[in-house]
Amino acid sequence: MKKFFLYLFLTILAIIVLFPFIWMFMTSFKPESEALSLSFLPSHFTLENFKKIITGYRFGRYFINSLIVSFSAAIFATFFGSLAAYPFAKKDFPFKKYILGMFLASMMIPGLMFMIPQFAIVSKLGWINTYKAMVIPHLANVFGLFLLIQYMKTLPDALIEAARIDGASELRIFWAIIFPLSLPIIVTIFLLTFQFHWNNFLWQLIVTTKESMYTVPVGLAMFRSAHEELYAMKMAASTVSILPISIIFLLSQRYFIQGITKGAVKE
Amino acid sequence: MKKYIGDYIFIAPFLFIFLIFLAFPVFYALYLSFYKVTDLYNVFGGLRFVGLKNYFLLFKDGRFWWSLLMTFYYAVLSIPAGILFSLILANLLNNRLKGITIFRGAFFLPYILDVFVVGIVWTFLYSSPYGIVTQLLLKLGIHTGGLLSTSKTAMPSIVLAMMLKNSGFGMILFLATMQNIPPSLYEAAIIDGAGPLTRFKNITIPMLKPLILFMVIIGFIGALSAFAEFYAMTGGGPSVVVGGRSLGATEVTGLYLYRNFEALKLGYAAAISFVLLIFTLIFSFFSSKIMKEGIG
Repeated sequence: MKKFFLYLFLTILAIIVLFPFIWMFMTSFKPESEALSLSFLPSHFTLENFKKIITGYRFGRYFINSLIVSFSAAIFATFFGSLAAYPFAKKDFPFKKYILGMFLASMMIPGLMFMIPQFAIVSKLGWINTYKAMVIPHLANVFGLFLLIQYMKTLPDALIEAARIDGASELRIFWAIIFPLSLPIIVTIFLLTFQFHWNNFLWQLIVTTKESMYTVPVGLAMFRSAHEELYAMKMAASTVSILPISIIFLLSQRYFIQGITKGAVKE
Repeated sequence: MKKYIGDYIFIAPFLFIFLIFLAFPVFYALYLSFYKVTDLYNVFGGLRFVGLKNYFLLFKDGRFWWSLLMTFYYAVLSIPAGILFSLILANLLNNRLKGITIFRGAFFLPYILDVFVVGIVWTFLYSSPYGIVTQLLLKLGIHTGGLLSTSKTAMPSIVLAMMLKNSGFGMILFLATMQNIPPSLYEAAIIDGAGPLTRFKNITIPMLKPLILFMVIIGFIGALSAFAEFYAMTGGGPSVVVGGRSLGATEVTGLYLYRNFEALKLGYAAAISFVLLIFTLIFSFFSSKIMKEGIG
């Protein structure tokens, strides 16, 4: 009996937490005239909203932009991060402590502080309206670096020593030993970076002025200010942003959760 | 030194980006905060040195102080609400039940979604007079007149939406910590005749205290940088008249900073960001002290 109430309570809470997204999803299949009705199911199921935002408003293009930005950022951030983490985890070199201290200090700074100077740098470089502008300023993921260092520290030194005795170069040690053994945490960093860039709305908003460079949330922001009243289409555009990342999350939940738990427990 | 070159090469790409896009900006923001944009078509070319004038103006700027007040209001509402709700979720999940990971996933999912897009979805739910939340409240006999467009309800409505979105994060952390509490503690308490509530109060809560403090700190820092939820849901409105001035009931500092940036008052916006940094540092300093003393 206690179990029954526990399940009941959990189910009610899950419905409350997920309700906005369920409602968004259902609305995106309703004709615009029904967007504000209280019925859960559309009177007739339509793909019209998705068609309109893709053919009339190029959300397909924005989706591809989001995908390019998030994917390339995730690749580079993970690569740079794991390269840097190796010496920090396994070696000793001058200034190591100071560099780490500097990285740690940067995590205390409110994100908004970086926005204006980063914008200045990006505009001076002439990068406005490019993928570079959206990706490169956020490639140094300090939080991810600390997760990687922490993980790599636990790898056995004996393996590295043995490879060194066999004459393997540092790069070879990294590729053949460190990288494959750190794969679980590398997947986590990849997913977290992808998610960060998929959601990096404010930055993408300020470095894009050209419509063809909009990402999904930026496109949604512009669409919203032009068409406050087109609810079903807004919900379809929101679905385009929310659904893919949700599917990625559901398929790789444990990596996400691992990253979040490990990161915070350390602090 | 030569034998370390290899190590530096490994670090180089990361460090290079860090120095240019994270370290340099802090100093550049400080520099900018002493300047004023004079040419709107060549923003960074036409800077004029104004000394501390931006900071003096900021000090006298009622709208800025109001935005700080609204930021604190947001923090004071959202931090306890978020902690309480995630604690409830974690406590419910801390049972050996089948299918628990499904619920865990369901509660955590909204946390990874874009704040701005989630804000847009909530704006739709809250919209007046036909949004579903508005209509359901009406059926219960509550006339809201638009939750986001009434100054009294706008902030709590945003807090509620963000609480439901973000509690998965706290839940995961609470759950991980709860599962690390040695079962022997509970067993001993059961032998001593402690009921479930007493056990929760006297064992679980004290064990979670460092984590609760951690969440207060990051909640506060988060509130100082909060932007997208307000940009999506209210844009800073609705307006309220305070002392003869018209101000935004949800205009937090992050949003005010953005408005100045948008108007290309870059020096002024940079000065705001520095004041935010100072608040963050002061707060982190005191809370780490409390943490050391309180937990030992």
